[in-house]
Amino acid sequence: MTVRADSDDALLREVARGDRAALEALYKRHAPWLVLRLSRRCADPGLVEEVVQDTFVAVWRGAGRYRGTGEVAAWIWGIGIRRLIDRLRRRPAATLARPSRSEALVVSAEDEVLIGIEHGDLGAALGRLSPELRAVVQATVLDGLTTKEAATLLGIPQGTVKTRAARARRELREALA
Amino acid sequence: MSAMWHADAEMLTSYADGEIADVHASSLEAHLLACERCRDRLAAVPASASASAPASQGSMDRIWAEVVDTIDAPNPGFVERTLIALRIPQHVARLLAATPSLRGSWLIAEAVALGFAVLAANTATGRSADLALFLFLVVAALLPVAGVAVAFGPGIDPAYEVGAAAPMRGDRLVLMRATAVLATSIVISAVAALAMPRLDAIAIAWLLPSLGLTLATLTLGTWLRPLVAAAAVSLSWIMLAAAAAVSTQDRLAVFRPAGQLACLVAIAASAVVLAHRHIAYQEGIAT
Repeated sequence: MTVRADSDDALLREVARGDRAALEALYKRHAPWLVLRLSRRCADPGLVEEVVQDTFVAVWRGAGRYRGTGEVAAWIWGIGIRRLIDRLRRRPAATLARPSRSEALVVSAEDEVLIGIEHGDLGAALGRLSPELRAVVQATVLDGLTTKEAATLLGIPQGTVKTRAARARRELREALA
Repeated sequence: MSAMWHADAEMLTSYADGEIADVHASSLEAHLLACERCRDRLAAVPASASASAPASQGSMDRIWAEVVDTIDAPNPGFVERTLIALRIPQHVARLLAATPSLRGSWLIAEAVALGFAVLAANTATGRSADLALFLFLVVAALLPVAGVAVAFGPGIDPAYEVGAAAPMRGDRLVLMRATAVLATSIVISAVAALAMPRLDAIAIAWLLPSLGLTLATLTLGTWLRPLVAAAAVSLSWIMLAAAAAVSTQDRLAVFRPAGQLACLVAIAASAVVLAHRHIAYQEGIAT
């Protein structure tokens, strides 16, 4: 594989050497999707901004620790989601914001059918999960968080994460059987 | 390479607007981690609403400015980091770290001065052993006085003008710094005392005199410049110690129980006077 001069890996190596412009280039590439993805998990835009800021400061200081395997984007996401959880942990539980945007969305019956056709059985099965169960699947399976981290992110007890994950697995299994 | 699959424009737009269904969002997010092209296209999606929308140009610039600010912030020095680790509030730590007599060079100078006294005590024999011990005790008692003399005041404190203009009581700063200087020199002297040949009560006989001398310096400092006050107290102390040694034929006379008792009395007296006079520091260091 040839590494282009301005690939993410190369930029990260420049950042490790203290190149501010390389960090800015990485920021321009990765901050937009990071903001959007974090915004889907935290309803407080101010907190999301702080987390993105923390993340790129961590990239600046920790660029030397990047092992050079895997996608740089995945590495940045790993930092970002854990910074978000750190921030949420430090807040009083009462102000925890549950991501609510997707739940408020009303999906019409036609849309549901179309989604099922478009994305096959698994997508439809996922789509039919209740928002609570889906949030747990998203946090533990797709975001790769531990039970404890998912509990902090979603603002629910660890035991609830486990029972919801088990219920989601059962429902998916039945839907796909 | 997984895919020739790429997100279509509609999907990216609805994701950017937060109106995409969870299932689609999840598969897009997984794809985005591996696809530079879709990331770039997502970044190019114009944010729909106002400047408060996530990933709007305004918020992107704001976050970047904060990142630069954080990266550019000066690293706190050793003293400040230590103080913060000791759970001292950050603004107090910054004020204390600006104290000239808490700099590394000053602390090293203190350690070297004591080191010579300890060396002398360890090599001296016979009658000169007492003299070496006497020197160690006199120097150890004087260290905080010297530290306090250069802990604040115009021409010495790099933050003096800032402090004078700050809405903060001047006496509080003086007492805070004096306490910090006293504490560090006590620690240094205590470590030095461990290296003394005779490890008994006399090795820490400097403790009460150092407290008394520091308080006396602070009290005198309400009338005089800190340096002058410190010089006056130091000279008096040396002369007193020498006079006591000569008149009683005991080199360590001032460090015996009677001397310690006198120190306690002096500490109490200085504390009372300082409590009445501390407002003088409020009106500005005597110049």
